[in-house]
Formats: sequence, structure tokens, C-alpha cells
Amino acid sequence: MASNSTADSGAGDLFQRKATGLLRGWSVLDGFIYASFAINLITLGLYIFSFAPFIPDGSLVYAIILSGLYLVFQAVTYASLIAVMPRAGGDYVWMSRVLGGGIGFVLAVTGWWFILWHWVPIYANILNIEVFVPLATIAGFDGVANFFGAPGGMFTASMVVAILASILISLGMRTYARIQKFCFYGGVIGLVIMLALLLFNSNADFVGAFNSQAQDVYGAGGDAYQRTLDAGSVKGTNLGALAFGPTLLLIPMIVFFNLWSNWGATLYGEVRGASDFRKNIYAMGGALIVTSAVAVIMLLLFAKTFGWDFYYAANNAYWGGNGPLSVWPYPGLFAAFLFDSPILQFILVALLALWFFGWVGSVFLSSTRVVFATAFDRVLPEWVAKTSRNGVPYYALMLMLLPSIPISYLYAYGENFATYTLDATLVIATTFLGSAIAAAVLPWRKPEIYNASPIARYNVLGLPLITVAASMFSIFLVFCLYKWLTDDTYGINNGQSLIYMMILYVVALVLYVGFRLLRRAQGMDLNMVYDEIPED
Amino acid sequence: MISKLFSQEPETRVFFATDIHGSETCWRKFLNSGKHYEAKIMILGGDMTGKALVPIVEEAPGRWHATLLENRREFESEDEVKEFEDSVKRRGYYPFRTDPDEMSELESDEDLRNELFYKEMLGTIERWMQMADEKLDGTEIECFVSPGNDDQFEVDEIISSAKRVRLAEGKVVEFGDYQMVSTGWSNRTPWDTYREEDEEDLAARLKKMTGQVTAPPEKTIYNFHCPPYKSGLDDAPEIDENMRPKHGGRSIVPVGSKAVREAIEEGQPALALHGHIHEAKGNTRIGRTLCINPGSSYEQGQLLGAVVNLDGGKKVKRFVLTSG
Repeated sequence: MASNSTADSGAGDLFQRKATGLLRGWSVLDGFIYASFAINLITLGLYIFSFAPFIPDGSLVYAIILSGLYLVFQAVTYASLIAVMPRAGGDYVWMSRVLGGGIGFVLAVTGWWFILWHWVPIYANILNIEVFVPLATIAGFDGVANFFGAPGGMFTASMVVAILASILISLGMRTYARIQKFCFYGGVIGLVIMLALLLFNSNADFVGAFNSQAQDVYGAGGDAYQRTLDAGSVKGTNLGALAFGPTLLLIPMIVFFNLWSNWGATLYGEVRGASDFRKNIYAMGGALIVTSAVAVIMLLLFAKTFGWDFYYAANNAYWGGNGPLSVWPYPGLFAAFLFDSPILQFILVALLALWFFGWVGSVFLSSTRVVFATAFDRVLPEWVAKTSRNGVPYYALMLMLLPSIPISYLYAYGENFATYTLDATLVIATTFLGSAIAAAVLPWRKPEIYNASPIARYNVLGLPLITVAASMFSIFLVFCLYKWLTDDTYGINNGQSLIYMMILYVVALVLYVGFRLLRRAQGMDLNMVYDEIPED
Repeated sequence: MISKLFSQEPETRVFFATDIHGSETCWRKFLNSGKHYEAKIMILGGDMTGKALVPIVEEAPGRWHATLLENRREFESEDEVKEFEDSVKRRGYYPFRTDPDEMSELESDEDLRNELFYKEMLGTIERWMQMADEKLDGTEIECFVSPGNDDQFEVDEIISSAKRVRLAEGKVVEFGDYQMVSTGWSNRTPWDTYREEDEEDLAARLKKMTGQVTAPPEKTIYNFHCPPYKSGLDDAPEIDENMRPKHGGRSIVPVGSKAVREAIEEGQPALALHGHIHEAKGNTRIGRTLCINPGSSYEQGQLLGAVVNLDGGKKVKRFVLTSG
């Protein structure tokens, strides 16, 4: 037997022996990279920023800064949950152990499984407008670009997303982690090139390049830049002045981009202390703050080179359907226009596309984990957690892939179905609210587990840090939920969509009650799953 | 068939837990698990011993300090020290009282540290066996324990000496019509632990053991600490040469034993019980065999386990994974 003294244990003043599972600390940089993919500036960020003209008086820049800073509470909440219940399997296990099996199942299954079917067409839309259409346009394949702009293209892109995500998960986490890292570094190169182009070119350079490319690529003749300004002019666009009320109203919109720093808890070695807790905060909070900072820099460069009024006008004109260009005003493509060479334009857009391809697996990955966790708790049947000999979770994948096909079809071709999916973010936020409440009450609901955790020593004004952070995060979520449900601006308070989402919750509840009764009839009370055994 | 599916009373109910690594809380919960889950058979898989020693240093008469989870604590009374010692034990570490001089020696002398580890680990197992004898005395519960790859060989002797706990390592044990064969040996690990060997040697060991089973497969249980290769019960974070998780712990690789997998594929017992990889909680099927790894959260004081109803059918269908 060999033992180590404290120096490299990462756990403080103790002695460790050599034993299975004792690992040294994980890399914060790695954690940061994967969290950065979740708060994906290029895909989610640029897409949702394009809706900012709907609240023209709000400052997008300040909204990103304020929400980015505030959502550190989210990072602290989830880092705390991980510290108290590591290897727990995420929101489902935290909620089911702290709040009860039924609440945990219904909120997690709806928020991490059912709703992710509806995110497939959302991912597909981003794939179309940021990857397929711009690349096809640059390459001169106008027919391809037109196809992906139509319902058939939407459905095709949805299938590409669903199949790609399934393949990435089938390849296993080892390969997927490597692909993500490759995409991250490639995507960062693309981002740096884009920012450099914006930094070193003037507004006049851009106006010339835009007019020229609009003519060459889209056949939009004349002064397309000015025509865009005329078509999409937004009164009161506000880059820097802090109009607090309207800026606050932008926050429930941009959480589409920055609410996901907690997307995927990782596994850790044992005999770890508060350093792992801090590392999680650095990784998740760091990704949040750095991504927010880059977003702000990017927007300031948009203002400098595109012109802020133009950026808003281009988006406003597109959503209003009256711009000179019929395609979504993708800033990555606009930056690429500053290259004369179509090859360089193609390379830049392709590099930026790596932000999509490193991220696309997330549409199914967490869902398969929730499906597994519920099956291991015997709520769902055993077969859903089956894997192939190569570890492919084929049933869980089928449970994601198959429903996503008709949903994508209806989204692409249905007249009203896209409306039903408007509440997709709301449902996930509700799941997060469940976890935040679980975190807030955890010190009282599970005092022994909490007191044995490395975060038990952290208090704020006499209250546990986890309670304070989770309460603050809950307030944030309640604010967003209230605004989504009451304010027409967000396009979410749609009766049909709410009814549709309620049906999803009811289906989850019926599944839970049904399987619970079945297990009881089989002589296996599911209370055993969550019951604590007395110690004495 | 339907009546069997819905029959309430099992022929035999088993509770299985594993990898408690010195956690006093988990051991106490394990001793209560039979009564709690109405299981007549309790089985503890391997790795009972802890992984860390926590020194409580007396810096001046009546004044102590110690660090747990990077939190430095100072004590000025015996009660405070005792309370701290209990919290260390609950987590699975071994507290010991020392002074600055001895601390210096321990830091510089690996043999001394190892000696202390032995003393604490074996002393704890002895104490645990006494607790088991007291707790299980007068009950009908049968308790089987087999050490794991992290447990030194002296642990076997101590378990053997217990009255109400039966050592299961390396032999066929019986309860009712069922036969169970157990081993804590695993394939090679990066930690060079006590009971690990090359796959060929492990295969030979398993073949010898399973060859002694005379019960039919539906009445047979394999209690092999190491999970089968590529079963999903053996997924662990990939680590680099410095024992750091690669890719922030996201890169997961199978680390189980091919020999164990072959043994299960060949013998097709009704149930295979595993541990070893704490993160890989779950269940799977290899042919007809239900394979379970309940995982471990010993540091949190949670006893992860599995309640299994054995009905003597070709497939075990009634079970739940618990987090008690």
C-alpha cells in the first residue's frame, strides 16, 4: 500500500492511501469550455439578440451585463447542488430526493425530455439561418439556400439535427468530448477572426462591402444598406444609455441565451473538498461572465462597424418581412462580407458553424440521462435504459428521436404548431425553478447530507449560501415566468401554447402515477427508492 | 404469468449495497437495511475500508486543530473533538489524534503512514463486526460480506471471526435454494490496489469459483465486485497520466472486466451484483442475467443499494435501486 500526504490531494490536511477512484483535480479550463458551449453566443446569442428591436428602448448591452452578473447566482446554486449531491444525475435526482419523487419526475421529464423534442426544430432553424443558408449562398447554390428557407428545408434540417445528435451520443462521451473541444477551438478561431474584421474595418468599409455583396449574392441592387435602414428603422434604439425599465424587460428575452451555464454536471473524484465547489463556480460562472463580456464586445463592434441603427433595422426588417434581403441578418455572414474572397467568406462562416456542431448533441444528451435516471429509479420501465454492447443507449435515443420527427414535421408544415412550441424555454425554466427551490430548502430537508458537504460552512447573513443563491435565482426565474406569461412582447403568453404545455405536464403525471401503481402491484413500493434508512 | 408478475410476496428478498469505504453512517444504515426493506438477506459488496486519515493535532494542551473538506477547525474541549471525530467517521475517513512532532514524522515517513492506515482500517472493521453481532443478534437476517479490491487481506480474517456476518469471498454460500459466489478481485486499476490482477488470471479465478456452483442459473447469484466490461455499470471518467479527469470529467470510458462479462455470459445467473465504479449506478441485462451496480455515495452518508425480489424465475424482474 502506498499513501500520499496532503500536498496533491486537493482536500486539505489529510493523508490519502492509494485507492480506486482517487483522482487529482479536474481542469477548470475544460469545465469552462463545456459550459461556454451551453451559453452559446454564436447560436443562441446572435439568434435571440435579433429580437431585441421588439423592446427598442432597452439596452441590449446592459441587459446582457445585468443578467450575466445576476445569473452567477444560478452558477452558485448548481455548484452547491453538485457539491452536496455529486454524481446525482442532475435536476431529476435533486428534486426527487429533496422535494419528492412525483415533483422530481414531472418537472424533470417535462423539462428535460418532452420539451427537448420541441427544441429540435429550434436548433434546426439556427442550423438553417447560420450554417446551411449562408454557406449555400456564398457557394452560389441559390437553390439549396432557397430550399432551406422553405418548410421542406426546415424539416430536413430538423432531421439533420436529430440524427446528428443521435450519432454524437452513440459515439460515446469520450468521442463527443473530443469533438466538442475541437469545435470549441475552431469556433474560437472563427470568433476571433470575426471580431478582428469588425475591429479593423470601418463603417464605410462595411457599407461598401454590404452593398456590393447584397448585389452580388442576393441580387439586392441599389444602396441596400440605406434601404435596410429605411425598411427596418426602429425608434429609440439604445446602445449605451441605461433605460432601466425597458432594459429589464429585455432580460426574459435573452435568457434564451444565457440561462444554460448549468447544462451538464460532470463527474469528480473522491475526497474532494470546497475546491471542487469553487472550481464549478469558476467554470460555470466564468463561462457566463466571459461569454457575456465577449457578447458586449461583439455588440459594441457591431455598433462601430455595422452601425447600431443598421443592426437593429436589419433585424427589425427581417422579422417584419420587409427588408431588402430575404435572409436572416446573420452577423457572421455580414462580417464575412468584409472579405472579398468567397473562399475566405466560406471559411469564416464554416468556422463559426463549429459553434453549432459542438453544441448540437446537447439537444438529446441531457434527456437521455434523465430517462436513464428515472429508469434506474424504476419509475420508467427497465428497457428504456438498455444499451447496446457498445454502450449506445438506443431505447433512450429512440424516445428522443422518434417523437421529434412528427413534431418537426408539424413545426415545418403545420399552420399553428410552431405557436404551440413558444413556451419551450418557459418549461425548462420551470424545471430550473424546481431545482432552485430544492436547493433553497435542502439544508432543512436533508440536513445530514448538507452538513456533511463541503459547502456547509458557507453562510450569508446567517443563512446557508445555497439558500441565498437559490432564492435569488428563484426570484429571477419567477420574474421571467411572470413576464413571459403576462407580456405580449415575448410572444409566449399564447393560450394554445400554454394548453399544449399543460398537456405535457399531465402526460408526465399520468406516467408517474401509472408506473408507481404498477410497481406497487408488483410488490415494489417506489417509496423505497427515496426512503432514508435510519442510522440507529 | 400475470399472477406471478403481480404477486406481492417474493421467495426471497435481498438487499445489496457496496463500496461504503469506511463510512460509519453507511455501515450503520446497512445493518438496519434488512429490517427497513424487509429483506432476509443482506449482502455487502467490497471496499469497506476508508481512503483517508484526518489528523487532529494537539497544538497545546487542550487545544486542537484539524482540517476537513479544506475547512480548518479549532477545538478547545473534548466534546468538540469527539463531535468532529464522529463527523469524520460518518464521511468514511479515519480521524486520529496526534501532535506536531508526530505529524512531521508522518509527513516524511510513508511506512509510518501505512502502519497507521492499517491500524485504523482493521480496527474499524473489528468494531463494525462487533456492532453487526449486536445488531443482528436475535433476528433471522443473514448477512454476507465480501471485501473488495481496496480492502487488505487481513479484513477477511476479521470478518470470518464475526458471529452474525458471513465472509463470502471466494466461495459458494447458500441461502434457501439459492447459491451465491463472490469475489472482490478486479482487473487492473491505475491505483495498484490489493486485489487486482490481469484479466487472464481473473478469468481463471472466476472459472474456478463458478465451477463450484451446483444450483441452476435461476437460483444462482454472482457477487463480483468488478462490473462487466462495457455494461454501462463500468463507466468511469477517463483520466490522464497524472490521474486527472480528462475533459472536465465528461469523457467517460468503460473500465470493467472482460473476464467478469464472459463469466456472466457463460453462467447466466439470475442476478449479478457489482460495485467498484461509484459513478456508474444502474442496472442492465446480459442475456437473462440482471446486473446491478447500485453505485456509492458514501461520502454523503447515503447508502445506495438495491432491493431485489428473487422468485426463482428465469429472469429477475422485481427490484429497485435505493438511496437510503
